[in-house]
Amino acid sequence: MQKQSKSLFSSKKTRLQFTLFLILVFAIVSFLGSAGNYYNRFSDTLSRATHDVVILPKTKEIPFVLGLDLQGGTQLTYEANVSNIPEADRASSLEGVRDVIERRVNSTGVSEPVIQVNRSISGDYRVIVELAGVKNVNEAIKMIGETPLLEFKETAALSATTTKVGTSTNAAAETQLVWKNTELTGKNLKNATLKFNPNDGTPEVALKFDAEGSKMFEDITGRNVNKQVAIVLDNYTISAPTVSQKISGGEAVISGKFTVTEAKLLVQRLNTGALPVPINLIGQQTVEASLGQQSIDNSFKAGIVGFLLVALFMILYYRFPGLVSVICLGIYVMAVLAIFKVMPWWMTWVFLLSLFALFISVFRELKIFDGILSAAMFIIVFIFLGYYAHTSVTLTLAGITGFILSIGMAVDANILIFERMKEELRNGKPLDVAIDDGFKRAWPSIRDGNTTTILACFVLMSFGTGLVKGFGATLFLGVSISMLSSIVITSSLMRIFVGKFLARHPWWLGVKKINN
Amino acid sequence: MVNYKIIKYRKLWLLISAGMVVLSIMALAIWGLRAGLDFTGGSLLEVKFAGGVPTVAQIQNNLNEAHVSSLVVQPTGNNSIILRFQETSQEKHLAVVAALNKLEVAKAGMTEIRFESIGASVGAELRSKSFWVMFLVLMVIILYISVAFSKVSKPVASWKYGLIAVIALFHDIIITAGIFAILGHYFAVEVNTPFVVALLTVLGYSVHDTIVVFDRTRENLPHSHDSFAETVSHSLNQTFVRSVNTVITVLLSLLAVLVFGGSSIRDFVLALMVGIFCGAYSSLFVASPLLVYFEQWQRARK
Repeated sequence: MQKQSKSLFSSKKTRLQFTLFLILVFAIVSFLGSAGNYYNRFSDTLSRATHDVVILPKTKEIPFVLGLDLQGGTQLTYEANVSNIPEADRASSLEGVRDVIERRVNSTGVSEPVIQVNRSISGDYRVIVELAGVKNVNEAIKMIGETPLLEFKETAALSATTTKVGTSTNAAAETQLVWKNTELTGKNLKNATLKFNPNDGTPEVALKFDAEGSKMFEDITGRNVNKQVAIVLDNYTISAPTVSQKISGGEAVISGKFTVTEAKLLVQRLNTGALPVPINLIGQQTVEASLGQQSIDNSFKAGIVGFLLVALFMILYYRFPGLVSVICLGIYVMAVLAIFKVMPWWMTWVFLLSLFALFISVFRELKIFDGILSAAMFIIVFIFLGYYAHTSVTLTLAGITGFILSIGMAVDANILIFERMKEELRNGKPLDVAIDDGFKRAWPSIRDGNTTTILACFVLMSFGTGLVKGFGATLFLGVSISMLSSIVITSSLMRIFVGKFLARHPWWLGVKKINN
Repeated sequence: MVNYKIIKYRKLWLLISAGMVVLSIMALAIWGLRAGLDFTGGSLLEVKFAGGVPTVAQIQNNLNEAHVSSLVVQPTGNNSIILRFQETSQEKHLAVVAALNKLEVAKAGMTEIRFESIGASVGAELRSKSFWVMFLVLMVIILYISVAFSKVSKPVASWKYGLIAVIALFHDIIITAGIFAILGHYFAVEVNTPFVVALLTVLGYSVHDTIVVFDRTRENLPHSHDSFAETVSHSLNQTFVRSVNTVITVLLSLLAVLVFGGSSIRDFVLALMVGIFCGAYSSLFVASPLLVYFEQWQRARK
């Protein structure tokens, strides 16, 4: 019975071929995303073997983002003592602390620290600093531990140096400023605020000093009219305005060539220097790099063995369908690994669109779109997949375990389908109907079961800290993708092979006989 | 398809389960779980010696000058030792390392491979957070089941399916915790944040499994002319092979991690394996038998 179909395809067979094409596209993108470096090596080997006749385009190689327990490094948890700071200023002062810590860490030569500010359940402000691959943790801790220092300096002397420029005989004269500390420090700054110049609307930073500071400021500006005065935070000069006149009253305005962002940043930094926020180290986790490398090696071995064991079991027990499920599992593994990495935009789109198209086509075919619950879940899952495909997932040891666990769970959907299929065959249904019915009737169980796992993962992801969150994220990604891929890929592959051979050799399907 | 008379012997299964739960509760009451660093607070330092490990006595002697409290020294057998003590400040950390450096064997080469310190307040916080998260997951699960099963209110109300699933969950969690209480007492196995994560995963898996079994009952009930018990038994048999196979594949993948994954992840994987096994067991031998009993009691009360 041919249904009058409004779709692009005239026959079931064309639809099936299109689905297979989509699966191929999805598999290729997953492969490129997860194992791009292998592909590039292959492309190199190929062009060398064919003497540069066949040159395949290269793809971007994306590394995994490893957590500290795999990379080696340290995580420091600081608690900020905000008791002296009014409620309204607390959040911004914490941001200031974060900036200071970042600069301090950078100055020790550690690259790319990851610094987060958050609030604990009890309302304390915490700063979490992650330093990857750090050789000298204790040095970094010492550097971070000091509260920010704000100083005001004036010029002490001017010295001229000459430098030769190339072979030209013209000498370029450079003046270098030598700075000298004044008595005025952050202790005397009451606060700094962002203002806009009433005349031309440019952003300015207004400084307000306390009584002692106002006096000192008056002296300093008096001494240095038409000279520069430097504002230095942690030995880093953040601003060096020229004094236009002596200023009394303890209020001053720094103006000139700020963007709003720069001005805001300066205010934040000044306020940090002005209101020292003492930070206290309350937690530390350090893993040495070799231990991390060992964990990586272990995980890799475990992953391969796990995959092989599951594949072996499926093939032995379910025979031909088992083989199909192993192919599906292989594509699944690549897809999840690809999502763990940060895929470039074009890859992400192809990945998501092909997955989406596959899911729509199969579901329409099997008519298992059943209601708001399913639709809502899919929308949510796809949003998360989109998000994670384009951002990285930090892999920790627990996270990788979650992934390996999901390999075992991924086959569950397939097992459900195959058991149903066998049952329908035993009930006397012909092969193609049995396959379709198997899918249709297994779907509600698959959906409900996986949804509860996903809900548990959501809780883990939203509540947890690094370790908990990472595990929740990898398990969530694994379960979602397995749910989609197993239905779609397995059903399509099974339907191609609905043919006379299988009908006459039911052993391959695990049943005794098949009716036609 | 199999035809095990599981429902027929439901009393037996429930008795076994009840027995295991009671034993677990006893183990927890007597020994409790051995709380690790995450929950007690304190410091853990693992140091590797290139030239052979010093004796515990030597270490304790040298560490006298560092003045740390509750010092526990544990050789790992990998040419390294693990030191635990109560203080968490960086100064104490450095003092301990300095004291260790004064040992004879340290001259051949000593590396600090791992250091963890957690302030006591953070530990207490993790404890309370853990309970909250578990509670939340349970609530969410009950809610979802009530909604998903809302159409099957005859003869057993849909929320009762949810209740039974939660009873099965408690069964899984208590037995897993009980086993870890025993492991903690005899093998010094500790319980940290990963253990809580494992429990939460077990919650998710166990419910998943239980739902798949219930789903069959839900599907068969409207068309069935048999008694409730027979329908449940029939449904159970239909899903039996699937449940067993799924737990086999999951345990196989976890077994690979247990064997190859290294010592740091071993306890976590063990908790997962024990919990998931219990989860599968409870879906088959606890949830459906309870369902039949619920229906029986309902009828008896009418």
